[in-house]
Amino acid sequence: MPLDTSTYNLALLRVDGRRWNELRRINAQIRTQAAADGSSYLEMGHTKVMCVVTGPSEPGPRRGGVVGSAGGAGGGGGQSKDAEVVVNIVIAGFSSVDRKRRGRGDKRTLEMQSTVANALAASLHIHLFPHSQINVSLHVLSQDGSLLAALINAATLACVDAGIPMTDYVAACTAGSTSTYAANDESADPLLDMNHQEEQELPGLTVATMGDSDRVVALVCESRVQISRLEGMLVVGVDGCKQVREILDRVVREKGRRMIDEGTVEKGTGLNDMDVD
Amino acid sequence: MASQTHLNLSPAELAYLHASLSLTPPIRPDGRSPTQYRPLSAETGILPGTNGSARICFADGTEAIVGVKAEVEKTRARWDDETIFLEGQEGDEGAEEDKEKEQGGNREWVELTVEIPGQRDDDSGTIFLAQMLSEALLADGAFVERLKINRGWHWKLYLDILLISPPLSYPLPLLSLTTHLALLSTRLPRLKSEGDEDPFFDDDWAAAPHLYPKDRKARPPVTLLVMAVGNNIIFDPAKEELAVADVALAVSVGDSAERTGKTAEDEDMEVDGRKLRLLSIRTVDPPSRLTPPGVPNATNSAYGHAVAGPQQQKMPEARAVESEAVEGVWKAPRGGAKLAVMGALVQKVLERGGVADEVLDALEAVDLS
Repeated sequence: MPLDTSTYNLALLRVDGRRWNELRRINAQIRTQAAADGSSYLEMGHTKVMCVVTGPSEPGPRRGGVVGSAGGAGGGGGQSKDAEVVVNIVIAGFSSVDRKRRGRGDKRTLEMQSTVANALAASLHIHLFPHSQINVSLHVLSQDGSLLAALINAATLACVDAGIPMTDYVAACTAGSTSTYAANDESADPLLDMNHQEEQELPGLTVATMGDSDRVVALVCESRVQISRLEGMLVVGVDGCKQVREILDRVVREKGRRMIDEGTVEKGTGLNDMDVD
Repeated sequence: MASQTHLNLSPAELAYLHASLSLTPPIRPDGRSPTQYRPLSAETGILPGTNGSARICFADGTEAIVGVKAEVEKTRARWDDETIFLEGQEGDEGAEEDKEKEQGGNREWVELTVEIPGQRDDDSGTIFLAQMLSEALLADGAFVERLKINRGWHWKLYLDILLISPPLSYPLPLLSLTTHLALLSTRLPRLKSEGDEDPFFDDDWAAAPHLYPKDRKARPPVTLLVMAVGNNIIFDPAKEELAVADVALAVSVGDSAERTGKTAEDEDMEVDGRKLRLLSIRTVDPPSRLTPPGVPNATNSAYGHAVAGPQQQKMPEARAVESEAVEGVWKAPRGGAKLAVMGALVQKVLERGGVADEVLDALEAVDLS
């Protein structure tokens, strides 16, 4: 179904009623699953993702199962000084509107796996865990655009839950442009956080930054876009990442607060110590 | 088929587990009674984009999500089959062998996939799991008959089964229960067209009827994992328990209260109006068969006993002595299961007010949103 982009100029509202700089509703939970070392659940609009982290643990054919085929070796050394980040993405057949089954060997899935692994490896202190493996398995339950961004955010939350030391949150977001490449419209506005309909029609990119700094750890652009528009999109994307980081941070703090309240965590630190950053 | 749960237990630990599980009553490592399932939490209707979905978490932390999606598909026009289908619908007794043929065609109306993280999708264990689960669904033609719209069209049902957690225990009971629940919550749009017209549906989702209506008795099948240690029959074994099982069976049970016209076979049993019906049995190869045997202290050099001397080592009889059963020393079960044990296992599953009944009751109580 083609998206009618011409209406944007009338009211400056997008198809789902957002303005150009508005994120969709992000809802996240951590520690959703008791058996795993770390787990999270993240919704960005209608994109729903679950993440389970196992490790750092001893690598081997038993734990990972798919050392050869799972792609996504981050860091730069399996058996060497650094831990290996192995990402495994399962896109459920029921996740899109029309059922489409993607096998494990799907090229797009493999590329997303290596992107997520590299983005995480930039933030995780993998040098602290030599000869070990961090398994990140991501399940896509429902997709409506910004899939890669949602995967990166969910993986970050699960790594926080697993207690793996990391430099900062890796927050990701998408940005697009209001008119197509072919329109060659110089006055096109950038857009933040694209949904599936917009992704089909408009040029867009996914950007992930290290926390609220301007350090970009992943940048993926798979569509044709005029170079003059790229800067505006990137600025909007990085700004979106900062908003996402705030949301992720709030989720983690809230969970931590609740765990101290419930007495799950030792009361070594007071509730108010948490606010000191 | 091996139930690949990898567990590093020493022969002494295996012997201890085996001994405590073969007591009367058996003492299970997690303190459950032999027929008790792990406590679970369940919810349905979690994915608005599917026709039906469910999520179940077992108390040991394993978690699964099942989504059901349906598509309308044209039934392949084969006129000879068409007439057979009608005959089967009328419940004609003579059409027994014809029904077999008709099921073969309908089998393609259901597609079931299992995804287990960290395992290849062509892994033999995963395929075996999917096969067992779809076998239970297709065993009697009752399920695919529900998917028929009219003579020219049918629903094609896709069941995607996701194991979210790492496979801590053999996931068969979890996946089966979640599939059962997802099918209970599955709704298909209400048909507006009549007869053999091209199907036309009501677009009001609130009016969509359930695939398994709540007021009817029929329920989707459920597969139970049962194992035997000595003379004890144990339901829903955990990983450690499966590691010492003599026999492990996957027994699929259906509820066929609607098909009262059929003659009561000996496996049919009337339980509070519920008619449990045995659908399929598969033996699951327990990992106990792959464990190394223990060595009695008497022959263990680590305990200071003289190892068999050079003259003894040459004799083949010295090895045979080792494999004899010694109290407190683990010995992997060899040979097939005894027929009497298999019979007892199946009998126990189908028992009046037994575990199958309990499980079906519990799942029925889950709120279908």
